[in-house]
Amino acid sequence: MPKVTIDGTVVEVPAGTNLIEAARQAGVAIPYFCYHPYLSIVGQCRICMVEIEGAPRLAIACATPVTDGMVVRSETSARVKEARDAVMEFLLANHPLDCPVCDQAGECLLQDHSFTEGRDTTHMVETRRTFPGLERRLLGPHIVQNQNRCIHCSRCIRFTQEISETAALTYKSRGNHAFIDTFDGQPFTDPFSACTADVCPVGALTIREFRFRKRAWKLRSTPSVCPGCSIGCNLWIDHHERTVYRFTPRENPAVNATWLCDFGRFLAESLNETHCLHPLHRVEGQLHRVSWGEAMRALALDVSAARTLRVVASANLSNETLFLARELFVRHLKGELVVPVHPGEPRRMKNGKGEWLYSRDAHPNSEGARRLGLELVDGERLARFLYGAADLTVILDPTAHPYLSTAEALQLLRVSPTLSLARTNHPTAEVASWLLPVASLASDEGTFTSSGGHVQRFQPAFSPAGEARPAWQILQLLARAMGVSALDLDSPAAVFAAMATKEKGFSGLEWERLGGGSPSTYREHQHVG
Amino acid sequence: MEPVLLRARGVPNSRHIDTYLAAGGYEGLKKALTMDPEAVTKEVLDSELRGRGGAGFPTGRKWTFVPKEHPGPKYLICNADESEPGTFKDREIIEYDPHLLIEGIAIASYAIRANTAYIYIRGEFVRWARILETAIAEARQRDILGASVMGSNYRLDVWVHRGAGAYICGEETSLIESLEGKRGFPRLKPPFPAVVGVFGKPTVVNNVETLACVPSILTRGAAWFASIGRPRNTGPKLYCVSGHVRRPGVYELPMGVTFREIIEEHCGGIRDGHTLKAFFPGGSSAPVMTPDQIDVKADFDACAEAGSMLGSGGVIVLDDSVDMVEAAANLAHFYAHESCGQCTPCREGSDWAMDILDRILEGHGRPEDPATLLRICQYASQGMTICPLGDAFALPISSIVKKFPYEFERHIAAATPRPPKKLPVLPWAGPRPGFDGQ
Repeated sequence: MPKVTIDGTVVEVPAGTNLIEAARQAGVAIPYFCYHPYLSIVGQCRICMVEIEGAPRLAIACATPVTDGMVVRSETSARVKEARDAVMEFLLANHPLDCPVCDQAGECLLQDHSFTEGRDTTHMVETRRTFPGLERRLLGPHIVQNQNRCIHCSRCIRFTQEISETAALTYKSRGNHAFIDTFDGQPFTDPFSACTADVCPVGALTIREFRFRKRAWKLRSTPSVCPGCSIGCNLWIDHHERTVYRFTPRENPAVNATWLCDFGRFLAESLNETHCLHPLHRVEGQLHRVSWGEAMRALALDVSAARTLRVVASANLSNETLFLARELFVRHLKGELVVPVHPGEPRRMKNGKGEWLYSRDAHPNSEGARRLGLELVDGERLARFLYGAADLTVILDPTAHPYLSTAEALQLLRVSPTLSLARTNHPTAEVASWLLPVASLASDEGTFTSSGGHVQRFQPAFSPAGEARPAWQILQLLARAMGVSALDLDSPAAVFAAMATKEKGFSGLEWERLGGGSPSTYREHQHVG
Repeated sequence: MEPVLLRARGVPNSRHIDTYLAAGGYEGLKKALTMDPEAVTKEVLDSELRGRGGAGFPTGRKWTFVPKEHPGPKYLICNADESEPGTFKDREIIEYDPHLLIEGIAIASYAIRANTAYIYIRGEFVRWARILETAIAEARQRDILGASVMGSNYRLDVWVHRGAGAYICGEETSLIESLEGKRGFPRLKPPFPAVVGVFGKPTVVNNVETLACVPSILTRGAAWFASIGRPRNTGPKLYCVSGHVRRPGVYELPMGVTFREIIEEHCGGIRDGHTLKAFFPGGSSAPVMTPDQIDVKADFDACAEAGSMLGSGGVIVLDDSVDMVEAAANLAHFYAHESCGQCTPCREGSDWAMDILDRILEGHGRPEDPATLLRICQYASQGMTICPLGDAFALPISSIVKKFPYEFERHIAAATPRPPKKLPVLPWAGPRPGFDGQ
C-alpha cells in the first residue's frame, strides 16, 4: 500500500484513496464542499487545494489519488492557506450573511470553515448577486430552496443523477447566474428527495418538515435503525428534550451508505406519539389505572392460570423481545405464538457499492423472527389463529398487522381476556382487559435483523414517556413476577448474550460490536449525545 | 509564401469537390492510405506541427497518446467551435476549402484508427455547417468517405454536430460533454480525452486549422513543412487581424513573422491619425502586449517568452483612442457571461471583476480596485480552475491592470463615491398619520 506524508504524518492507505480520505486518516482535516465520499468527484469548489512536493501548482485533494512517497502539505503550507483564503472570499462574495436566520447554521460546512479559517473582512464592495423569487421556493413536497445561499457544489444534482437515478435536479442558466432547478420545472418528487438537503453543504436546500423546528446545535443524536421496512437503514435519531425531531442517515456502506428514503426519514415524527402512559386494567367495562407492581402480580396469576395461551407477536419487535416472548410463552408456558407480517409498499435503497436493495416487507425484523424459528403468518392465518378458543390472548404489538384493527378481529378478541401492549391509540384498547404502556423505538434498545442478514443494534435516545417501558422489559418483569428466574435478564445486552449462546442465527455475535455510532462513522457534523 | 491553407480563397467555385480534386486534392489522403497509420503519425510528428487551437500542443504527440491496443471505437473530433473573440480563421477555411478540412480529418482519423469523426461546429455557424454537410455528401458520393475510403478497406464516417453557442464548448472536454448531449461542463483531467474521451472512448480533438495543415504535410513531406518558420514553431499560420488597422482580415503567413510585419506591412498599419496602444497577440484570452513588443515573433515560443501567448492567432489591435479600462470591462463582460459556473474562482471571480470594472467606468472607482482586480485574477488562474477559462479571463485583465495602471488611476482620481443604494420604502414603514413629529 502506498505511503504518503501529510503535514508530517505518514499514513499507509490503499492505492486509489484520494488525499482527502488519506488526510482524514492522518488526522488532517482538509476542507471541502463539493466532495462527498459516496458521490462522483467534480473538483468544483476548489477549497481542498493542497501542495504536493515536486508539483509546480497546487492540486485539489479530492481528485488526487495517493502515490507512494507523496509528500503533501495542507495546513503547514502558506501557499495553500492563501489559496483557500481566496477561494473562501470568492465563495462568500455572493453568499448572504444570514446565518442567524438560516436553518443550516450549526451544521453548515461553509459556516464551519468560515468560522475556523475564514477572515472577517472582504474586498467585495459590489452589490451581491441575488436570485429574486428563488429565496424561499418549495422545490418539491419536502425541499425548500434558497438559491441565494447556493455555492454551486452540485452535490444535490449528482445525488439525483448517481444515487436516486431520477436526474430530477439540474443547473439552469450559466456562470454566476446558474441555479438549481428541477428538470422541466416539474415538482421534485424524488423518493429520496430529502437526501439532497443532507448533502447540501449550506442552507440552500432545507427540509420543509424540519426547518425552523430546532437549532442544529441543540440536537443530540442516538444511533438507531429505521423501522420503516426490512432493509434496515442505519440512522441517527436527532432529539432534544425527549422529543424526536428528525432522522438523519448514519453511514453503513453495506446497507444505506449515507442515505435514507423519504418514507423512512419522515417516520421520525411518529415516534413522538405516545398516548398510553400508564398500565390500565379493565374492571366492569372501565379501564382503571394500576401500578406496574399490581399489574404484574395480577398478570402473573392470569397468565399461569390460562390453560390455552395465544400470543400475537410482531416483526416490529426487537430480537431480544421476540426471544424473551418465545422463551416465556412458548417454551415455558406452552402457549402458541405467531408473528403476523404483511407486505408493505415496495422500498429500495442504494448501498455503498451502488447496488439497489429492495424490500416488500413493512417490518424491520421479519428476518429476526424467522431466525428465531417463529411462525410468520399472513392476515388470513392470523384470523384463523384468533378464531380458535383461548383463555388469554397476548398482543405484543397491536400495530403488527392491519387485521388487528378490523371489527372482525375485535369481535374475536372480545371473547376471552386480552392483554395488549400499547403506545398509541388503537382499536384493540376497546377490548383489551389489560393495557401496558410500551416505549417507542426512541426509548427502546435492542437489535433488528435486516433482510440482508445484518444484526443491527439500536440505542435508546431518552427514557420512555410516562410509565411506559420497553417491550423486552415488560416481558422480563412478567417473567420475574412468575418466578421464571432464567428469563429475569435485566438488560437487552444480557438477553442478547443468552440468545447468542442458544440460537444458531446469533452465535458468535457480540453486543458491543453490533454497530452503533463509532467515531469513524462518516458524518459531516458530530452532535452525538 | 504561396498560400497553403487559403490557396482556394478567390478561386471560383472553390468549395466544389471537382475544383478541389483538380487542384490536387485528396492526394495526401491517397498517400496516407498506402502508409501505416504509425508512419502517418510519424510524418506529422516530424513536421513539428503544433495545435492551432490555442494551446500549441504538438499534434503528432497527441495522436500517439491514443492507446493502440484499445478494443472498440476511437474517435476524432474536429473542433470548429471557433468562439474566441478576435478569431475567425476556421470559418475562412470552411468557407473556401471545406474539402481541405475533410481530407485532414480523414488522414488524422486514419492515423489514430478512428472510424468515426465529428466536426463540432459553433452553433452560430449555420452557413458553414451547411457548407460542411454539402462537402461531406460530395465526398461520400465519390467514395472518399464511407465504407471504403478511396477504395481501401478503411471505413470512415464524418458527422457535423452543431453546438448551442457556448464559448466554453470550445474547451475540448467541455466540447466532448456537449457532443454527448450533456451540459457543456469541462471535465477533470486526468484522464485525458486521448484515453477517455467522447462516450468514454479514446478521442483526439484537433482544431480546424491544425487538421487543414495535415494534407500538405503528407503531399509535400514533413521536411517542407518544418522548413517554414523556425524549429518547434513550424508551418503556415493564419493570423486574424481585427481592430484599428487599415486592412483587417485573415492573413496566411509563415509562422514566426513579427507583429510589426503583420500590422504594418500586411494590414497597412494603424488607421490614420492614431498610434498603436496595445494588441492582443492571440485572441482575447492572451495577455495584452504593448507597442514596444511589436518586434516579437508571432509564434508559440516567442509569445510565451514575451509573457503572452500566440493562442489562436487572433491579433486584436487597439489604437490610442481606446480606454483600456473599458477594454478590460468589455472582456470581463464576455468572460462573466461565458463562465460555465463550475469552479468557484472563475464563476465568482469573473462576475466580481466585471462589477468592479463597471463601477470604475461609472465613475465610482476606489483606490484599492486595481489591487483587488489583481488578487481576483491571481486566484482565478494558475491551476485554480478545472479548465483554462479561469486563466483566459484572469490573464488579459491582470495584464491590462499591470501595463496600464495610469488609466485606472485617471479614472479613480476623477471618481466620486457611489451614492448609497436607495432602499425601497416598505408600505408599512412610511410616515404614520398622527405620529410624524407631532
